[in-house]
Amino acid sequence: MSSNMIMLKSSDGASFEIEEAAARKSKIIANMIEVECVDEDKAIPLQNVTGNILALVIEYCNKHIVDDDDDVATEEASEEEEEAKKKKVDDWEAEFMNSMSLETMFELLLAANYLNIKSLIDLVCQTIANNIKDKTPEEVRKIFSIENDFTPEEEEEIRKENAWAFG
Amino acid sequence: MNTESFGPCLLLLLHEDVFAVISCFLSPRDICNLILCCKSLCELVDSEKIWLAQCEVVDVLPLVDIIQWRVGISSYKALTRFLVEVVKPLVGIWVHQNPDLGNVVYVMPGFLSVVGCRIIPQKVGPSWIQEGRVMWSPVFEIICSLDGSAEFFLHGREIKGSCVYPGFVMGIEKSCNVLLLEVEPMQEKSEDESVFLGKKEGQFPFYNLDFIDRMNLLGLVTSHIGIHVPNLSRERLFPSSKDDEAVLLEYRTMLLKMHKFGGNWKHILEKSSSSKSTPPSRSEIIHSNRQSFLSSGNTFGLSLKASYIEISSCQGWPLMNVNNFSLYKLPIKNPVDNQEYAGLWGGTFGWAPLKSYPEDTPGKALFLLMLTYEESQEDNERHLIATKILEGNDYVKYPTGSPLFDVNIDTPSLEPFPFDAYGSDFEHYYKGEGMADSYEYEYRYPGLRLGSLLVISNDLLAFVWQETKHVITLQRLNLEKILKKGLGSCVSPLPPTENFTYMNRSYRNVFA
Repeated sequence: MSSNMIMLKSSDGASFEIEEAAARKSKIIANMIEVECVDEDKAIPLQNVTGNILALVIEYCNKHIVDDDDDVATEEASEEEEEAKKKKVDDWEAEFMNSMSLETMFELLLAANYLNIKSLIDLVCQTIANNIKDKTPEEVRKIFSIENDFTPEEEEEIRKENAWAFG
Repeated sequence: MNTESFGPCLLLLLHEDVFAVISCFLSPRDICNLILCCKSLCELVDSEKIWLAQCEVVDVLPLVDIIQWRVGISSYKALTRFLVEVVKPLVGIWVHQNPDLGNVVYVMPGFLSVVGCRIIPQKVGPSWIQEGRVMWSPVFEIICSLDGSAEFFLHGREIKGSCVYPGFVMGIEKSCNVLLLEVEPMQEKSEDESVFLGKKEGQFPFYNLDFIDRMNLLGLVTSHIGIHVPNLSRERLFPSSKDDEAVLLEYRTMLLKMHKFGGNWKHILEKSSSSKSTPPSRSEIIHSNRQSFLSSGNTFGLSLKASYIEISSCQGWPLMNVNNFSLYKLPIKNPVDNQEYAGLWGGTFGWAPLKSYPEDTPGKALFLLMLTYEESQEDNERHLIATKILEGNDYVKYPTGSPLFDVNIDTPSLEPFPFDAYGSDFEHYYKGEGMADSYEYEYRYPGLRLGSLLVISNDLLAFVWQETKHVITLQRLNLEKILKKGLGSCVSPLPPTENFTYMNRSYRNVFA
């Protein structure tokens, strides 16, 4: 395994050391490495990501780099092993998302979007979607602290327009 | 509460592209609930991008078609509505009991529409699937208008030629399993417009009328509203190449105009039925039912309704009410893990397509079969059952809906296959029983005979009767693809009411 390490620097000045292979999960960082604008000794500054969020991003990348390597190495792994491994990753992801507040989740999503880490974007989006799915507007408003600024008449009008979706 | 300390809603901070990713995990209902949350969220969510993603979420039309269909409709939201309300619940195979030879209607996406196509009982050549040669006939269309609402058109034939009969879609339940063709009482609002004003309290339902009354009413309504459409062909119903778009758009515009202005909705029944010297009714009740139904509107139109009804079934075949103008949905399953042979198959007797035949070989009767897995009560093993849903012979030897074969699918036979299978390479075979081969036994004494199912590939099966060595070869069928290929012929439909459900019990191919 490559032991090439690179440094990332958060907007609030915290530095993190990360394996290059893990950092490559971010398309932005991967591109920077490709065009060789990464100086061995210098940290890559990430202006839009704070230290506490960057730590979460790195935790996610480190966890998934191992899995990606395994995919290539053990093609002959049995179906059961594959399933067990997938379940382990799923469990880890569920635990990972469970551990953070809704606000952190949104910050993580913005960071994942900025760093362009597709699988992390999907993971956070699905978790946010789970907080919306099959919920009434009242429940969604409560979860996301939304203030209803529709009059009852306007609300009734929208319900009527979209009656097809509620049937 | 301290809602204000949170500042603006977190969801509003997201870029539209990111929100589109979230929306992929949500249903149209969830999206509408979000729209109801607050004004700024409504603005973010109620967008073309989000609704385009929802069109894909409905998962009933490929993206290329979604984009192609957008040209004739006001927004992707309107398109989502049509996909949710009409396309998703209706696409599939619908059947009726009588006659056993021909009531198979395949409903598939057309162009901003769904089209019901009757698969004609027919003979086919050895490479009919590859060549896409299937005879069919239009039964009905439901067209999506500009705002995503649906308009119904029955197809049929009169002396002057092919006609369409405009009508209303009176509600499609999401899990519907019965399609009903009915007459709907309406109130005339003004000189030019008849509208359906909702069911009256206590209105007598059409389906409770006497059979003869229902048949007469449907006959009377269709005789007044038919509009002749010259040169109806496949190109007008569903697209097969880019060039079709103009033809399709033109046909669609014509139909929508017909629905708006044409159809002689008015004065259809009002006087004719009530003042007609009615034949003596069979009983007071039938008469009073008819009067009660007729009094609920001053004009009448055609309607299509899709409902869910609790139906018992036998080996996947619904036990139908044979006196209703209705079609029943077949629960055809898609192949999944551990049920890789489930689904719709087409076949013919003989070893085609494994063996090459001379070009002038006469066609063979086409069989459509539904393959399902069932747990047997007797031996607790899984069985693969092939239910016959269409037979292309001029007379059927045993009824549609009965099993053609039934094999024990969990235990492949270890014995060497007992006879020559035209040298075909098969993976394994399963033992079971097949309906007594129609060439050898009488209709009166159908029975099961030993046989084997050969798995040649995931898309090619053959069932061989042990005693007679007769074989039926089955290929997995994608009817939509075959019909869109367009090399098959479009046959003129039956008269309108019969074209929806052919009720006469004849056992004879009415198209022969």
